Amino acid sequence: MSVLTMTNGAAVLGGRKIWSDATFAIEPGTITAVLGPNGAGKSTLLNIILGLVPLAEGTMHVLGEVPHRGNLHVGYMAQTRQADTVSTMTGRDFVGLGFDGPRFGWGHDRTKKEVVRQALALTGTTSFADQPLHSLSGGQRQRIALAHSTVFSPELLLLDEPLAALDLAAQGEIVDLIKRLRDSTGAAILVVAHDLNPLSSIVDQVLWIARHQVRCGTVDEVVNEKVLSDLYGQPIEIIVTPRGRRVIVGLEEELAHPHPHGHDHSHEGEHVHDLGDEHVHDGDAHHDHTHTNHNATHEGVSE
Amino acid sequence: MSLHSLLITPFVQHAFYAVTAVALAAGAVGYFVVLRRQAFAAHAIGHVGFAGAAGAVLLGLSPIVGLLVFCLGAGVLIGLGGATLDDRDAVVGVTLTAALGLGVLFISLYSGYANATYSILFGQILGVTWGAVGLVAALSIIVLLVVSLTYRPLLFISVDERSAASRGLSSRGLSLLFMALLATTTVVAIQIVGVLLVFSLLVAPAAAAEAATSRPLAAMFLAMFIALMSAWWGLFLGVWIGGPVSFWITALASLSYLIARVSSMVKARASTRIVA
Repeated sequence: MSVLTMTNGAAVLGGRKIWSDATFAIEPGTITAVLGPNGAGKSTLLNIILGLVPLAEGTMHVLGEVPHRGNLHVGYMAQTRQADTVSTMTGRDFVGLGFDGPRFGWGHDRTKKEVVRQALALTGTTSFADQPLHSLSGGQRQRIALAHSTVFSPELLLLDEPLAALDLAAQGEIVDLIKRLRDSTGAAILVVAHDLNPLSSIVDQVLWIARHQVRCGTVDEVVNEKVLSDLYGQPIEIIVTPRGRRVIVGLEEELAHPHPHGHDHSHEGEHVHDLGDEHVHDGDAHHDHTHTNHNATHEGVSE
Repeated sequence: MSLHSLLITPFVQHAFYAVTAVALAAGAVGYFVVLRRQAFAAHAIGHVGFAGAAGAVLLGLSPIVGLLVFCLGAGVLIGLGGATLDDRDAVVGVTLTAALGLGVLFISLYSGYANATYSILFGQILGVTWGAVGLVAALSIIVLLVVSLTYRPLLFISVDERSAASRGLSSRGLSLLFMALLATTTVVAIQIVGVLLVFSLLVAPAAAAEAATSRPLAAMFLAMFIALMSAWWGLFLGVWIGGPVSFWITALASLSYLIARVSSMVKARASTRIVA
């Protein structure tokens, strides 16, 4: 049975249609890269899967159920976390919050210690788990966050830009870890990313979100000149390097966003706003401003 | 009058119970103030309380009534309006100035003796009555009870808002709850150290604790301990040497922060030396 199925799904934020006609399935034990420009609706897709934003049209099933908040079978790792700058929290504390953070009251679960220990062991973070988060490297923090989001061994794991702001060595470590997690838990993993290349060795399928559309398939089925040119309505060329890396020509402006909080990648003075930077507030999104920004992104590309 | 006979007078005894309750609540809530980087909100709520107290005095009511109404109102306003980090500062700042303006108006309308205003601004711990001690203790116990019951979700939403939301916690609800806790704590702390020195119990001990330990629960208890020591010794020194108790409490709390920062800097330097 598929871990996730979407049929003719559409996402609407603040009365604005983000994407529509999305039909795809995610199978157990697969890794799916979610690609596309800033503001295309990648994080919105994650929010819908998490039950934080309702699906506007179509149907979606997550592990056979309608998406709902607090589903312990779905793990989620946010792109940025306030915890990373906190000096009074160790990695072990943060992973522990993944276990009982949502719980009110005085009770203490005796199994917590062991569950946290296993999550740390699985992610190879035990050796630095007792240091405060703000003293760790970016890669170490990401691995702690992965441990945090996998304490319940989720069947579906959603990772929002886990490679952002990491150097190449750390990116490689995280990619290896994602693969190890998949192999050892059999979970289906969705990875939102700006660049396919660091992930290409582990990716089974690609979801490409752009221009209000969602394309799904294997890397070769989606990341080819015909599909992308058709999607963007302009000629796109793909050069494959001898090492198998893909250079996409014609989308440099859209895909090159090394700084998730950058505000200088805009045209005509308009700010391009990454939906991934939106805060989640109980699903009541105020995204009126994405309208113009969204268009600005695409107009910029068609120059 | 000997020191011993001073310490057993009723007004010192009242003060002792009041500072004990306030220090524990302020230390616990202060940990989250520092963690959530809401020191500005804590500052603003105190000043809003000033307007409330001045208004209550003007109407012939007890200042604490005005404090409660205004502080809780400001807490709700800041909690609702400033749920996102982006506009939090603006909401807090506007709330702060609007309330301060009102406070100025109330004071100018009040023709009575200005001593009431002075005690709101700088605290008047040695004038606390049994009734006030009871109220302060009750509010502090409620605050500590709620903090202990919501500790984990508050911590979770403070360090990873989005992950916490995905697990079913309400960011807005917890933000509101926290602002209500902060407002209540501010009201009781104002009784001891006054509006202008509320930071000394609410922020300084927690900031010192944050610099001294790396575990959340340890930091919270350490903040409570530092606040308690500052309050007890401040009261003792005020009675023994003289000078306002709120001055001594502020001085001790600030000193503890200074010591924590310097020692953590020395520790960091020592560890880099070992690495090098």
